Amino acid sequence: MKQEPELTKIQELMRPGKLSATGFLGEDRRPLSEILEEDRLALYNLGLSCHFIAHVLEKLMYKGREGFGNPVKAGVDLVITVDENRGVIPCPFRHGYLAKKIDVAVKNVEKSKQLRFSDLSIHLIKEHGFFQGKGSVYRIEPQEILNTLDSFIKDCLRDYQAP
Amino acid sequence: MIFEVLVTVVVVGGISAILSALLSVSDAIVNNYGDVKITVNKKRNIDTTGGSTLLSTLGTEKIFLPSACGGKGSCGLCKARVVTDIGPVFPTETPYLNKEEIKSGVRLACQIKVKKDLEIEIPEELFNIREYQARVISLHDVTYDIKELNLVLNGDISFKAGQYIQLVVPPYGKIKESTMRAYSISSPSSQKRTIQLLIRLVPNGIVTTYIHKHLNEGDELRILGPFGEFYLRHSSSDIVFVAGGSGLAPVKAIVHEMVKTGFERKTYFFFGARTTADLMYTDLFRRIESKYDNFHYIPALSAPDDSPGWKGETGLITDVMDSYLTKQGSREREAYLCGSPGMIEACINGVLKKHGLTENEIFYDKFG
Repeated sequence: MKQEPELTKIQELMRPGKLSATGFLGEDRRPLSEILEEDRLALYNLGLSCHFIAHVLEKLMYKGREGFGNPVKAGVDLVITVDENRGVIPCPFRHGYLAKKIDVAVKNVEKSKQLRFSDLSIHLIKEHGFFQGKGSVYRIEPQEILNTLDSFIKDCLRDYQAP
Repeated sequence: MIFEVLVTVVVVGGISAILSALLSVSDAIVNNYGDVKITVNKKRNIDTTGGSTLLSTLGTEKIFLPSACGGKGSCGLCKARVVTDIGPVFPTETPYLNKEEIKSGVRLACQIKVKKDLEIEIPEELFNIREYQARVISLHDVTYDIKELNLVLNGDISFKAGQYIQLVVPPYGKIKESTMRAYSISSPSSQKRTIQLLIRLVPNGIVTTYIHKHLNEGDELRILGPFGEFYLRHSSSDIVFVAGGSGLAPVKAIVHEMVKTGFERKTYFFFGARTTADLMYTDLFRRIESKYDNFHYIPALSAPDDSPGWKGETGLITDVMDSYLTKQGSREREAYLCGSPGMIEACINGVLKKHGLTENEIFYDKFG
């Protein structure tokens, strides 16, 4: 698939040292358009939407923030730890969105599985369908979201309203 | 056949070279804005060459606007009022500007290019900001994730306790350009030639990774400053300091300042930490507390089970502060907050407003 020049510019901003020390692409050498398309398909096959995934992660982040750095329980099997720092980080898609420097770790204590994401990860998934490149610190595999958060996701479905 | 291929390669190569040259020439013509004049606050004229951002152009002339991100459009601090009409606000500026600012011509200096003569207005105090070369005289851990960095400067710096500087780190590893971040000064303002900073390692952070993993004693850095509105106001109200993590830095500087005047106002310093491993300068604050009746240091652990033997306050710092303020009853107070945005929000909305403090009585660094 041919990549639009605009996406190439955005991909440049995602490289290490541009907006963050390690960047957003990890070891992924594929064009951004391919990364986006593969995750879009993965999500489609799982029957989930970016907006819903972002809704779930956002709920976890808000819940975790109540702990001021301490672990907070969520649902029956999750423990959330949120680490906040001062400052903001701009979205690499360069439309003026600024994310807070919030780092979220969610552990499923029953399954011994863990997800790590940030305030910016949530925005990137919600608005751009970008789950980050393979090997990126904040990369979350769509399938892993389902595997780790399945019971919480079921709870979220009750109050979720699609846009 | 081979000859035809070679001719094709030469022709295509030649056309590419001509196009490339044309592009360079057109770029030089289109982006050459020639000599321009910037008038600052109606009294200082800067003759310069157009084409760069207003932020970097002013920096070249040693006029330093605040900037925690170094001109990447992510902190929103480099505001200047542009009197000259330079067209509409860019989408990259709008998240940082309110309606009044946009109406009055305030722009982000890092986002606008100097393309013609400009008249701008900036706060007068920015003329006092200077650039310094700094050498690392010591760098050591004060907790498992916070380092104390002491720098000696190539000139005296005058600042108000609580203000911050901008630290510029050079390119390293995969980081190909210099990067700038804001840090509060934790040393007393009476120290003019040396400054102390407390720097917490931020996951994936460009500058904090450099400080924690690459910086050594004797290394040189560049700093700009001082900046900021976070300093002690004159009044007779009680003072409530609340800090967490490296947010202790400006409070430490202010408390040093207050030692000189003997704490004329009742002062309560609430410091939130998870465990004793997150506490720092405890001995210093305990010493001050034992000497001055008006100074009270209240560290609180939110995960006390991980700190056996802890006899101090426990719980979230918001709850501990709420409990103290409730016991004290209604009093005139000012609050100074420094820490994570979540903690600041929770302190303001969950506690301080409940105890009657208005926005004018609550102070915190905007770069948080």
